Amino acid sequence: MNIILSGVGGNGVVLTTRIIAEAALMEGIDVRVGEVHGLAMRGGTVVSHLRLGPDAKGVLIPQRMADMMLSFEPLEAIRQMKFLKRGAKVIINNDPYVGVDAHLGLSRYPDLCRVIEQIQETQDLVDVPATHLALKAGNVVMTNVVMLGTLSASRELPIRREVLLEAIKSRVPPHTIDRNIKAFELGEKAFQEWEQKRACQTGS
Amino acid sequence: MEKKNRILGGAGEKVLLTGNEAIARGCLEAGVVVATAYPGTPATTIMEKLGEVAPELGFHAELSVNEAVAFEVAAGAAMAGVRSLMATKMLGVNLIADPLTVISVTGVRAGLVIVTADDPQQFSSQNAEDTRFFGMLAKVPVLEPMDGQEAKDMARYAFELSEELELPVFLRITPRICHSSFPVEFGEVRRPKRNGKFVRDPKRFVMISTYSRPRQKLLNEKIIRARSIADTNPWNRSFNFQNGMMVDPGKVYNTFGIIASGMTFPYVQEVLEVTKVNAKVLKLATTYPLPENLITEFLREMDQVLIVEENDGVTELLTRALAQRKRLNVRIMGKDEGLIPMSGELNPDIVGDAMEKLFGIKFREDLTEAYLKAEKELVSQRVPALCAGCPHRSSYYSIREALRRKGRGGSIMGDRGCYNQGAYEPLEGIDSCICMGASIAMASGISHSGTNEPVLSVIGDGTFYHSGIPSLLNAVHNRSNIVSLIFDNSITAMTGHQMNPGTGINLMGESTGFANLKKIVQACGVERVQVISAFDTKKLIEAVMEEIDQPGPSVIISRAPCALVVERNIRKRKMEMYRAEVDLEKCIGCKACMKKIGCPAFGWSNEPKPHLEILPHCNGCGLCVETCPFGAISVPGKPDDALGISVKHREVKS
Repeated sequence: MNIILSGVGGNGVVLTTRIIAEAALMEGIDVRVGEVHGLAMRGGTVVSHLRLGPDAKGVLIPQRMADMMLSFEPLEAIRQMKFLKRGAKVIINNDPYVGVDAHLGLSRYPDLCRVIEQIQETQDLVDVPATHLALKAGNVVMTNVVMLGTLSASRELPIRREVLLEAIKSRVPPHTIDRNIKAFELGEKAFQEWEQKRACQTGS
Repeated sequence: MEKKNRILGGAGEKVLLTGNEAIARGCLEAGVVVATAYPGTPATTIMEKLGEVAPELGFHAELSVNEAVAFEVAAGAAMAGVRSLMATKMLGVNLIADPLTVISVTGVRAGLVIVTADDPQQFSSQNAEDTRFFGMLAKVPVLEPMDGQEAKDMARYAFELSEELELPVFLRITPRICHSSFPVEFGEVRRPKRNGKFVRDPKRFVMISTYSRPRQKLLNEKIIRARSIADTNPWNRSFNFQNGMMVDPGKVYNTFGIIASGMTFPYVQEVLEVTKVNAKVLKLATTYPLPENLITEFLREMDQVLIVEENDGVTELLTRALAQRKRLNVRIMGKDEGLIPMSGELNPDIVGDAMEKLFGIKFREDLTEAYLKAEKELVSQRVPALCAGCPHRSSYYSIREALRRKGRGGSIMGDRGCYNQGAYEPLEGIDSCICMGASIAMASGISHSGTNEPVLSVIGDGTFYHSGIPSLLNAVHNRSNIVSLIFDNSITAMTGHQMNPGTGINLMGESTGFANLKKIVQACGVERVQVISAFDTKKLIEAVMEEIDQPGPSVIISRAPCALVVERNIRKRKMEMYRAEVDLEKCIGCKACMKKIGCPAFGWSNEPKPHLEILPHCNGCGLCVETCPFGAISVPGKPDDALGISVKHREVKS
């Protein structure tokens, strides 16, 4: 299985990838993680390639071969979409990061609706207000844990819920474990709500 | 939270490690006694990890003042008979060229391994040079792992090889090894034997020409011996791919071959499995010197051979020469034929493209026209910036402002450090970035060129200690008319806050004497030196304007701690920082603040009217306050004389 994780510096892309990779290893699944964090500072593009099971060969996923994406920022999802199979699931945090460079006209940040539309055209999109939910759980830094909750609930991952939670617990400060579990659960709930909403829309 | 260092653990344990961590572990399994480095992305974490365990395991780990020193320290230890490591990014190898090309002549008495991180994609480097040429230059063997397990195992083996040949050995990696994570199975940790002793042997270690000449001959014999050792290196392996399956290399006969070095092998494997192109693959781990018998036998079976390697076509060059020498009639293809790109890192897609060109078989679906169109419409590169509250922003703003007020133009020669992020718009703080230590000397050159414009240079404290001091001495000695700014945050911030001689604490956690920057500058013979807070823009602007008019080199030390360090400390103590606020009545949405300093804590809102919004990562440095022509920005509660980031109040959070 091939998973792309994307976002901007400060989102926790690297840590989140490690958590999934460690959980996979606990499940006895082979794993490779490709990432670059040379000058990843707040606001710069960050991407990791996570490869599980028989796909765990080289550290880079070829284009059009990723089975899903977890994107912590909407525009970053589009930036990495070339790696996705058609129809692959994309879970995004729908909170855009518009840098000062965009306000200055040094770069562009497109209309958010246009971004969502573009992803939906070819992919199975799950959008989650993860930043908002993390704040609800107590701290914006847990946005990535909300996303992990959503990912877990999507049942795409060959990793059991309790193993993923175990990996999270081993990576966060001990006194924040309860808050992190809450964030995880909010992420799970967000997926269930999305499923219900979709069921209503498709009339099933 | 994990307390234990990830590289510790018993034999047989399987742990997810980055390539850098795996190499650090390999050094522990080799029983390294002296480990040195100068921080440089992507190799930095090797020494960070070793530093964390060195006091406990009883070996010496240090961040040296520069790469040449780091290498000489490691080489000295190896001369004294203990295993030593030096880790660097490839640009650091340029600095060690001088000692390396002589240490290879003297040879070593215990394993001396140089880990060098090449950067073909230039994720964090000024060029994409290939360390293998330094291997050829100094006649030092080069090993290349394909993943984390090999990185660990080869790091350990490199010490053994170094001892067998009595030569330093390069372990060449790239960011895709350094920063990727792999499951790695541990071997036994070898207790470091700190029992070195230097035994005199002038004919070996005093390299005056009479003693050196015979040793040079010996070196040439050693590198020939290294070739035959490479022939039996267990990580050089061949594989046969038949209909997408890996089969016994002995049985099936393919006349198309691929030589894939280091971490390109998994890319080749994946492409052959998907495209079902039949090929015999030689996975190459010893890229200098080449295993000549092994490659000759491989070439004999082939009509065509594709060479897949990152950076320059070194294996291609050497293989062509070998084929000519052995009179083999085989077509050798690679970068020369344009099948493999000359620049940039490789990936499975690039290898797939090469296979499509050769055999017309597609590796994967093309990107759709619709996607390419949408990408073009929607996606643009984000422009990096200095962090919110970074003192360099304030310094650059002041320097540019001083030059603007002088109105005589001027150039600012930059150096190498995180202050490079100030090169982008809107700050555009530097006009050059060449290499560590180049700023002051290049400014000197411009000042002697006959220009009438002011000539300035900017260098960080770490870089100044690394290689700026000789340039400043030179500027004094040769009367360069320059103003040199030293941005002093008393730490090596760019690579993640490593200690330097100005920090007062070393990698082993020992408190040390520390360099007095101002006194060093004065001791170089600079008469005009001032130390100014980086956030005191008024004083900085005045100082720069004043020094421009003074003859001879003068130095302004612009001092403030790194914003990230301050933030971290404030958070650790559960205290709060000040934050800027925007007065909606006064803000007219002119973006003057953004255009002047482009702080990443600037956001924008159109509700109820277009105005500047301050994002949560503002830390109240207050630089923006003076950029607003309408007085719309303030940092509430912060005393007027408080400069930079400061603590608001103690707040104990649960």
